[in-house]
Amino acid sequence: MKINTYQFGEIEYTEDKVIKFQDGLMGFENLKNYLFIKSDDGIFYWLNSIDDPGIAFPLFGIRILDDQFPQQENHEAFGVVVLNSNPSEITINLKAPVYINQNSKEGYQRIIDSDKYPVNYNLFTGQ
Amino acid sequence: MLILTRKINEEIKIGNDITLKVISLSDSVVKIGIDAPKSVQVYRKEVYEKVKEQLIAASKSSTQNKVDLQNFKIKKVL
Repeated sequence: MKINTYQFGEIEYTEDKVIKFQDGLMGFENLKNYLFIKSDDGIFYWLNSIDDPGIAFPLFGIRILDDQFPQQENHEAFGVVVLNSNPSEITINLKAPVYINQNSKEGYQRIIDSDKYPVNYNLFTGQ
Repeated sequence: MLILTRKINEEIKIGNDITLKVISLSDSVVKIGIDAPKSVQVYRKEVYEKVKEQLIAASKSSTQNKVDLQNFKIKKVL
């Protein structure tokens, strides 16, 4: 099977690569099937919808930012990123992380009930 | 919309496994206790709306080409 993505062009995949989000993502509840792709530059991951290949979410592993971040068993926590050509404007959503289990190929999104984690956290700082 | 009148400590059941309870009232603030299975997500509506807007912005930004991260470092959560 194939989809056409913006970042990676045409991607061929097999059913066993599909990550299933039973409840979708917030605001995108009807999109349940995604490909989870690591970018070449090694910093961001991409969650590209299979149902609507024009929809993709840049992700960043939250553990690197905060080793105290709420974990879910067998799942890795990722924050949805809003990219910008200016890195100091790039933000990550720590309020509603996406949890992905790469073995069972399933994922879900949760809201963390704590003021510590904002929706728009600046991911980078100038040196 | 179904509208029910409840007193403090009175409850509302939604289906078999969700219960809402009025805990306290003061001025214009009502405190509500919620019992629901773990599989049911409960959150404040305005938080959901904010998250939804963020996801729309993230999806729009996904056409951004490679970002030059030289001279930048990751800002850890303290």
